[in-house]
Amino acid sequence: MPSTNGNIENEGYWKIVHIPDKLPIPPHLQPTVNVYASIINPKHANTLIRKLNKISLLEDLHHVKRICKRCVEGNVQLLMILCLASHDSGQLEDMPSEIAELIESYQLSTFITKVSKYPATSKEDWEEQCKLWPTSYHPPTYNIDGITGFSEENSQSILEFMKSAVDLAKSVDGQIVNAAVIVNPTSNQVVARSCDQWAEQQSQASCFRHPFHHAAMVAIENSAARDRYLFPASEPVGDNCCQADFVDSPLTVSPSKRQKINTNVEDSGIQNGETSACGSTPARPYLCTGYDIYLVWEPCIMCAMALVHQRIKRIFYAFPNPNAGALGKVMLSLQLLELIKTKCKFNRRDALQIISHL
Amino acid sequence: MEACDTEEIRGADPCMKLALQQAKLALNNLEVPVGCIIIEDEKVIASGRNRTTETRNATRHAELEAVDILLDQWQKKGLSNVDIAKRFSKCTLYVTCEPCIMCAAALSIIGIKEVFYGCANDKFGGCGSILALHTSQSEWSTRDEVSNGKGFKCTGGIMVSEAISLLQSFYEQGNPNAPKPDRRPVHNL
Repeated sequence: MPSTNGNIENEGYWKIVHIPDKLPIPPHLQPTVNVYASIINPKHANTLIRKLNKISLLEDLHHVKRICKRCVEGNVQLLMILCLASHDSGQLEDMPSEIAELIESYQLSTFITKVSKYPATSKEDWEEQCKLWPTSYHPPTYNIDGITGFSEENSQSILEFMKSAVDLAKSVDGQIVNAAVIVNPTSNQVVARSCDQWAEQQSQASCFRHPFHHAAMVAIENSAARDRYLFPASEPVGDNCCQADFVDSPLTVSPSKRQKINTNVEDSGIQNGETSACGSTPARPYLCTGYDIYLVWEPCIMCAMALVHQRIKRIFYAFPNPNAGALGKVMLSLQLLELIKTKCKFNRRDALQIISHL
Repeated sequence: MEACDTEEIRGADPCMKLALQQAKLALNNLEVPVGCIIIEDEKVIASGRNRTTETRNATRHAELEAVDILLDQWQKKGLSNVDIAKRFSKCTLYVTCEPCIMCAAALSIIGIKEVFYGCANDKFGGCGSILALHTSQSEWSTRDEVSNGKGFKCTGGIMVSEAISLLQSFYEQGNPNAPKPDRRPVHNL
């Protein structure tokens, strides 16, 4: 993870931490499944593989190699997986009849062994898996820039936006308040800002607190209002690849920041490999597709799902919320991020955490 | 408005019919056809339908629409948060499709008494399909200052085929509002 050495105030006190969609599992604790295997005569290997491929496909175990070579007292032994075995029984009852026939005709002596259930996600995992039974390992080929790693420049703008969210939260005094800033990362333009609205209203001495007006929900509504304002007619939605780049938004940032935006546009465009084919006509965005949100506090479950609905691409938050947080929580982060992936095939969304080093 | 008996499942059908009317209204407005009604003391006190397209806000689900109507009314009447919580604890919601995770969390925040739904929401369901937020208490609560999430009674499977056929007729024509990559059945529920 790149550390940040920007001109930002508090430099060095912040760093970006990626919250993975899966909990890291120590390599030696990876889940396994039982399979029936047998020592085979090397001469029969090809025939057996051909026959087994017809009757016993290891559907969910594509990463597991069918054959394993072992050296026992100087002799090379070939071991072959026949089929899946049930978890508990050492019985052969659950074995398909075709396999049983194969065992019979080739005089195979079967045994149960463990293989890794899931493909390895790292070299360390893979090495550990191969101690059980060889598997194949394909390092991720996708471009992880912008997912787990950030360039110096990106980190700096991320921290700047987070700082603006923190400042927004500070402005409502004396209370723990969440604030949200929605940003179009291709232009670094602020699309919406908000605070927990119940807090604002409370400070105005009103006793009513809207139970759903958390910062993220309000920010979503603000971005929707902006969409309605900028595109009053229901014109067709622009292509996903065309990130809208508005010049005269009612919610734009200060002129000084605007300048920065203009200089950043090109770079970020190149970095994300995006062509700015939109030209001068801004395309209407589809909800918040491709946008980032900066939250001071980790979103609750309602807000987290809302952000997925609104097609927010990435969530950055400063402080984990141990009571109500939806993303850092083991079970939920697994499930929600799974949802996030299914909802938007083309944009992998990630929850990122910016934590204080103080 | 029509009164109906919320004690028995059998009495749920007339209520669900009203929710389905809301869903049809949504369909006529080119929205994902999901509708709901809220019942207090056997009277319909609010109804809502999906308005995500019109508002360009994907969180404007039927449930939040209906709850917001009540919150607005009750706030204008000057009800305190405690009063509002008391009212919701007597309310039953009928919705044509299982509340999504967001809505289930929201209903838990306001402390609704009971929810009846039509078809399950396999992708985003928050009442058993993906998460079971109706069964949990403090664990999923929002910040204590706001409100504690409460569990609620939840029954699904009421007039399922009607709910599904509405959704089917919407998706058969293809969601005209979604951009191409998202144009596949069942989303935005």
